[in-house]
Amino acid sequence: MSKTKPSGLAHYEILFVVSNRFTEDEAKTSIAKVEKLITEGEGKITLNEYWGKKRLAYPIKHEAYGYYQLFEFDLERKDLARLDEKLRLDHEILRFIIVTKKLKSDEQLAKEQKIKEKIGKKQAEQEKKSQEEKTKKEAKPKKDAKPKADIESLDEKLEGILNADDLL
Amino acid sequence: MNNHHNNNVVKKAKECYFCINNLEPDYKDTKSLRRFINFYQKIIGAGRTGTCVWHQRKLTLAIKRSRKMALLAFTHK
Ligand SMILES: [Zn+2]
Repeated sequence: MSKTKPSGLAHYEILFVVSNRFTEDEAKTSIAKVEKLITEGEGKITLNEYWGKKRLAYPIKHEAYGYYQLFEFDLERKDLARLDEKLRLDHEILRFIIVTKKLKSDEQLAKEQKIKEKIGKKQAEQEKKSQEEKTKKEAKPKKDAKPKADIESLDEKLEGILNADDLL
Repeated sequence: MNNHHNNNVVKKAKECYFCINNLEPDYKDTKSLRRFINFYQKIIGAGRTGTCVWHQRKLTLAIKRSRKMALLAFTHK
């Protein structure tokens, strides 16, 4: 093959929202239609997860709710654009997202791990550096003992605030 | 309060949530993502959450995807 486009199967994930204009049964037909779009060619569904009717975080086309459906599937790379276009034109679908799920090879995983370690090392070095500078500064004036305690209690307070944020 | 005055002094090295838990940010996992957005639905800086550079980048992408899918809000109403 002399094509420049990558060929072969790839693993994808799609999440989409069917409009609440429809009843749940109608939404299921919509979902079945999407399933057929995927399986028409070489596509094969490997995961089917129906999330049901969910409240949208913000209204879309005046709808406050939508039916969420998740599929994972294998598809020929060249067929993805066509699927994407068809979904775009489908007015029953409020939103959709297709994400490439990497079936990562060992090689790729090793590469990512290396990058991660590199970043981690750099961060650690920077931290060490700033820590050293800090201790240098602290070592000079000996009367620093009291404010240091203040900083620590402030730190605790801040931690509390951050944790409170987490609950939201 | 005047917290932002003390930000650089108080800053404490926290560990990255994703590294510790051996997780990757996922736009579908709103429960985890919510830890990293504030009351106004804005993404909290990596310095405050202790997220590493690698995961902060993945995290912002996940939050944006999540917003697109109406799993998370863009702003506080
Ligand atoms: Zn991390």
